[in-house]
Amino acid sequence: MTDLTCDELDALLAEFLDGTITDDQRDAALAHLATCDACTIVVTEMRGVGALFRQHGRLRLPDAARARIRAQLEAAEQDPTS
Amino acid sequence: MTAAASPTVTSLFEEFADGIYTLGYRLTGDRQLAEDVVQETFIKVMRSLSSYRGDGPIAAWLYRIGYREAIAVTRKRKDEPTEPDTMVYLADRSDDDVEREIVSRELAAVLDAAISSLTPPLRAAFVLRDVEGLSTVEVAAALDASESAVKMRLARAREALRVQLKEYL
Repeated sequence: MTDLTCDELDALLAEFLDGTITDDQRDAALAHLATCDACTIVVTEMRGVGALFRQHGRLRLPDAARARIRAQLEAAEQDPTS
Repeated sequence: MTAAASPTVTSLFEEFADGIYTLGYRLTGDRQLAEDVVQETFIKVMRSLSSYRGDGPIAAWLYRIGYREAIAVTRKRKDEPTEPDTMVYLADRSDDDVEREIVSRELAAVLDAAISSLTPPLRAAFVLRDVEGLSTVEVAAALDASESAVKMRLARAREALRVQLKEYL
């Protein structure tokens, strides 16, 4: 596959970002990105969305809830009939 | 799966509690309900762990339970919105801590608003794949969806979030 258009790259984008496309498709996508600033910006921003959420949007179960649920599970593991 | 390799519910809780909490919060939009999702998920995990046959990734099995719990909780939730919990517990911190906390909470609110605009299936696919790091195959198993459906949901979610969050990227 050679000379992808922007629309063709767009159709491959999810698999390109996930690294699940074929080597030929990846090479064609990279070749397109090397010459297309607009698609390069889209790809960079798409990757940035995931990174933004991983860094700032992942939550930690509050300590009080963690302790309460852990104690509940441990008690049930000790006494499966309860 | 051999007996020696079988995880305990507490070991699974330590590994996946935050992920289930994140998924629960992203689907319910409410921290208390998200805690309920975690609790109910792991109670169900405890009851059904012995029947888990090990014929698929345990993360997908566990997130499938969590996803169903979150959807069930969302359907049962009351109509009245809960009070937002921003700015809680800031009084006892230093000025630098408070400033960092405020900036962080502002960004968190922006992310909350952006992801809330997505449909639950798009939210779930995005959280499991791009935040929690499951593979597309695992996400498909967790959501009882085909791989092609998950890829389509991911494409839509990423594009919608990219447009909404452009100034933060």
